[in-house]
Amino acid sequence: MNDSKHVHCSDRCRGPRPFGSNGRRTFLQLGLAGFASLSLPGMLRLRTMAAESANSAGQPVAEKTAVIMVWKPGGCSHIDTYDPKPDATSDYRGPFSTIATQVPGMHFSELLPMQARIAEKFTVLRSMRQTAGGHPAGSMQMLSGDPDTRDKPKPRFPDWMTVTNFLRSQSGPRTNPLPLYTGINPPLEYNGPAYLGDAYSPFTVNGDPNAPTFSVPNIGISDQREVGRLDRRTTLRQRLDSLERAFDRQGELGALDQFESQALKLMTSPKTREAFDLSQEDPRTRDRYGRNAWGQQLLMARRLIEAGVEVLTTSLSGPLCGRVGNWDDHAVNQHVFDALRFRAQAYDQAVSALIEDVVERGLDKRVLVVVTGEFGRTPKIEYSPSTGEGNASAPAGTVQPGRDHWPRAFSNLWAGGGIATGRCVGATDKRGEDPIERICSAGDFLATIYHHLGIDAANTFIKDFNGRPTPVVDHGRPIAELIA
Amino acid sequence: MSFNSEPKLCLPRRTSRAGGAACVRLAARSRVLGLSIVIVSIVGGELVLGARMALASDGEATAAQPPVTPRLISFTNDVLPILTKAGCNAGACHAKAGNGQNGFQLSLLGFEPQDDYVHLVKEGRGRRLFPAAPDQSLLLRKASGRLPHGGGLRLSPDSPGYATLRDWIQQGTANDGDSAPALVALAVDPPRTSLASGQQRQIKAIARYADGSERDVTTLAQYESNDKSMAEVDEAGYAKMLDIPGKVAIMVRFQGKVAVFNASIPLGPKAEISLPVRNFVDELALANLRELGISPSPVCDDATFLRRVTLDIAGRLPTLDEAASFHANNDPRKRERVIDQLLDSPEYADYFANKWTALLKNRRDDVSDITSNFAFYSWVRDGLLANKRYDQFVRELLAASGTVIGNPPVAWYKRVKDPKQQLEDVAQLFLGVRLQCAQCHHHPFERWSQDDYYGMAAFFSQVGRKPTSTRGEELIFHKRGIAGATNVKTGRLLKPAAMSETVPPIAADDDPRLKLADWMNRPENPFFAKALVNRYWKHFLRRGLIEPEDDIRDTNPPTNPELLAALERHFVDSRFDLKALIRVIASSSTYQLSSAPLPSNLADQQNYSRFYPRRLPAEVLLDAIDDLSGARTDFPNLPIGTRAIALPDNSYNNASPFLKVFGRPENESVCECERVQSSSLAQSLHIMNAADIKSKLTTAGGRADRLAKSELPVERRIEELYRAAYSRDPRADELKVALDYLSETRLDAAAKPLDPAAAATENFQDLIWALINTKEFLFNH
Repeated sequence: MNDSKHVHCSDRCRGPRPFGSNGRRTFLQLGLAGFASLSLPGMLRLRTMAAESANSAGQPVAEKTAVIMVWKPGGCSHIDTYDPKPDATSDYRGPFSTIATQVPGMHFSELLPMQARIAEKFTVLRSMRQTAGGHPAGSMQMLSGDPDTRDKPKPRFPDWMTVTNFLRSQSGPRTNPLPLYTGINPPLEYNGPAYLGDAYSPFTVNGDPNAPTFSVPNIGISDQREVGRLDRRTTLRQRLDSLERAFDRQGELGALDQFESQALKLMTSPKTREAFDLSQEDPRTRDRYGRNAWGQQLLMARRLIEAGVEVLTTSLSGPLCGRVGNWDDHAVNQHVFDALRFRAQAYDQAVSALIEDVVERGLDKRVLVVVTGEFGRTPKIEYSPSTGEGNASAPAGTVQPGRDHWPRAFSNLWAGGGIATGRCVGATDKRGEDPIERICSAGDFLATIYHHLGIDAANTFIKDFNGRPTPVVDHGRPIAELIA
Repeated sequence: MSFNSEPKLCLPRRTSRAGGAACVRLAARSRVLGLSIVIVSIVGGELVLGARMALASDGEATAAQPPVTPRLISFTNDVLPILTKAGCNAGACHAKAGNGQNGFQLSLLGFEPQDDYVHLVKEGRGRRLFPAAPDQSLLLRKASGRLPHGGGLRLSPDSPGYATLRDWIQQGTANDGDSAPALVALAVDPPRTSLASGQQRQIKAIARYADGSERDVTTLAQYESNDKSMAEVDEAGYAKMLDIPGKVAIMVRFQGKVAVFNASIPLGPKAEISLPVRNFVDELALANLRELGISPSPVCDDATFLRRVTLDIAGRLPTLDEAASFHANNDPRKRERVIDQLLDSPEYADYFANKWTALLKNRRDDVSDITSNFAFYSWVRDGLLANKRYDQFVRELLAASGTVIGNPPVAWYKRVKDPKQQLEDVAQLFLGVRLQCAQCHHHPFERWSQDDYYGMAAFFSQVGRKPTSTRGEELIFHKRGIAGATNVKTGRLLKPAAMSETVPPIAADDDPRLKLADWMNRPENPFFAKALVNRYWKHFLRRGLIEPEDDIRDTNPPTNPELLAALERHFVDSRFDLKALIRVIASSSTYQLSSAPLPSNLADQQNYSRFYPRRLPAEVLLDAIDDLSGARTDFPNLPIGTRAIALPDNSYNNASPFLKVFGRPENESVCECERVQSSSLAQSLHIMNAADIKSKLTTAGGRADRLAKSELPVERRIEELYRAAYSRDPRADELKVALDYLSETRLDAAAKPLDPAAAATENFQDLIWALINTKEFLFNH
């Protein structure tokens, strides 16, 4: 494992300021509000601002902005994908050749031909950097902005998904029965709601949506008898629910009723069932994403976002990854190059289909798509004996190549969100070891996502268990090239 | 080094107290031809610079009027307050604690004037201030929005604050750090008053300085209402009362000093109150209601009381037998008797052990923690069962030494390893003081400084630990030596001091933790008893007299100070008897009021004019569902029949999605707020249709199954359900709804009528489902 003690450069993105000179921090005029969490009216205002900024085409923006995050758990090798180094020596560059993309001057490795062909539709950030070399700490940096470099079992800070769920839920229960934050095999291990509480965790769908037997339990129950019974029970409950309600000044009972009715709709409404039902899609669309778990996960992500989910996360993990089921391509786990080749087709197809689909369906202003993992992988190839045979891994004891953890430099992909696409931002040095321009930190990464969601990360505070107002992003600014 | 003075020269110089500023104003049409900076002199190790300017001028430079000596602006007492008021040194802006935007760092809220002087005047190569042309100073151009400023407009050029800053810069940016009279106190005028709802008034803030001077700092102070639903205040200190009656405080802050404006907002004229006064709690709670003109709801009926008090003391629903015998009992003191019985029951110990072990972080991080988890839980529970004195309980915990097996409270030190965390937890849990802020800077709302923080840390400086032969176990011992902790800011080594109170010297052989325990349980300790009685009051009445319950500070006054003081006194006099405290709270009429509001107390949210209902905690709710449905939840590796309130640690949350979803804490925080009591979509989905709930309803031998097969008249069976769920009989209308429902026929999947036995089973399941989902079940009311 590579540590990151040599990191010394600035962790701020350079470039133009994302905000104008007025308006920002005017919240301070509310006296001590610098120590208070953002008030509801403030949030609504931010949301309106976000809607307006997404409204460059001139149409009214009725729907809320949304984010799809495709997570590559374990960390994807940047050198073998989005940031190839054909001129590096063979102990660095790996076996893959480079290919031109639709964007002049931008090259990918040969593993990503489909994305290369649609490169005008997204932007690659090649200068991502965080400072934690372990999966837990690295994930916590990327997802919750915790600067701690040490691994710990549970996150100290809430991830951006639960923060968004929390902030957007302040205006009361939703009318749309679909949960605001939904995960399809989402990342859950090294992230979570921390002091926000489990109520803001995702509604989680597990399993392989490509499997013929796939169904989402409890959602859009199709058994009419069961639906009828739930309706009956709810009606009976209402008739018997006689507790004096006048005390309910804080709206607790009202909230409970609204959650109940949202839950009932989620469970019984054909519409919610349809949102999860991939058979409603044109078979050609399903083919386009790839008839495998990843392809159908991303298709479901797009369906749910269209149906009103606002934060959607999905992990590309499992058997499609190779022997160990994730992107953690140490030599002991799996042959890094065989593994990348093993998963490349499904990955390339699913991601390119999602991006094209989002654009074609006109979601590319409202919906931001981010594809990333917690870090990159060591540019220098290492060789160790395999610990077991399997997909993309030789029999135990066979020496095979691998790449270890590399938080110092990695790439991620951005599409939709109204951002300028068809370019790459930032660059790494000749071996892909460190970014040499437009260095972006985990805080910048998060602030960029928040910006799209209408959350002014620099000025939004949430109180932790001790009542300390904690910034949702501690040090970070929206990356100017990646915001609308 | 000499300095060649020329007439057309503006000389920024250090102003002394004696001298005025010697500045030269330049004619409007002057052009600067050249500028050179020279060192004028070295004073006390600081460079004093002079600027030499060559000017071409169509007119003559007009000399400023040196005889008119303007008031000298004080950096400490004039400049810094303006920066604080404008929000420059707030966490998100230029506070060092927040890393200071764009490299401009100030101490948080101006608590370190001397550091700020350096930040402002010297850092950034001195570019922030420009005495030669004050208005051109970066500080002023940014603050007034003339240069793009991430923080926007903070000081408009025509504001008095801007003028003061400009004058100070013009006067040569003097640092009066050592000579400025120190701020000794902040006062508000008036300190307390009664205001009708809707009424507005100006609060005045007065600063008192060490030299005896006073100054009106109303425009410079900062104001914050403790309860924004009760009172609003603007940045000029103009307060407006809203329509919720009670007591509200507005915190006023100025340069590290705090003061409080207390307003009492009566609802109406003096109220008619005819409640039975059971004890001093009622006397004081009712006096407060009388003063505020709020009439209390009547005392609740027997069924409501029994359910309420059983849930609050024993964490469970009353059994059918308990309900029956309570109703049948004509003893006028039967409520007190039930309280005593509940306090003597093992469930009391289960329930409160559940509360305390969560706060004391009895957490399973590793499978090997199980021994210490169980030992610690048993130690807490046994102490409660035996009604161990609270001060003794805290002393055993604080000063725990040895191994977990020999002395279970050692487990706390096993989990809470960092001495800073130890002091923070102890302060918050047992003293009700949140000291975390003071680790890095002066507490913004309090008098606590970093010295106070490290003085507390010193008590824990001699905790030694060494591994034993058992994996994961440590021996905790007193490491011989003089206790002390270093204030990281000043570098000074501090002796133990308990919340700024010095304690007698502690010998090297004495365990300082015992001295801290001694300090805590002195009767006059201002925190120890208060924190506990407030915590327990909240347990029973939903809202602490101080809220949040563990944020006790001068700027967060109690809503009924007399009542809080009386409870403290009672607790101390009873020699820290927890059961006696519960008895006095639970037997008061105040606790026993109906939750149904009267029109005349609907607006009340903090004066206990009625019972404030609250949702059952996760564990209690799960047990209650089991009791009503006749099912059982099994937890891994615990005896069959272990109830959710008796779970020793957090690890069972993983086995029970119900507990997780309904907010059972993971025992990570010393704050009760880790327990989530608010509703969520996930909870609704779960309680309506999750697999575990479904299986409870359909469990063989469960209540639905049994009642469907029962020979009793249907009315009796419905009565049983109501008694089990609510400890009361159904009303006629409810009975009718239930009877009608139970007599409906049901169809099977093929749309054929179900046989009556199967239909009855389904219908009873539905009825139990409906009862579980009513607010009357989900809430303690």
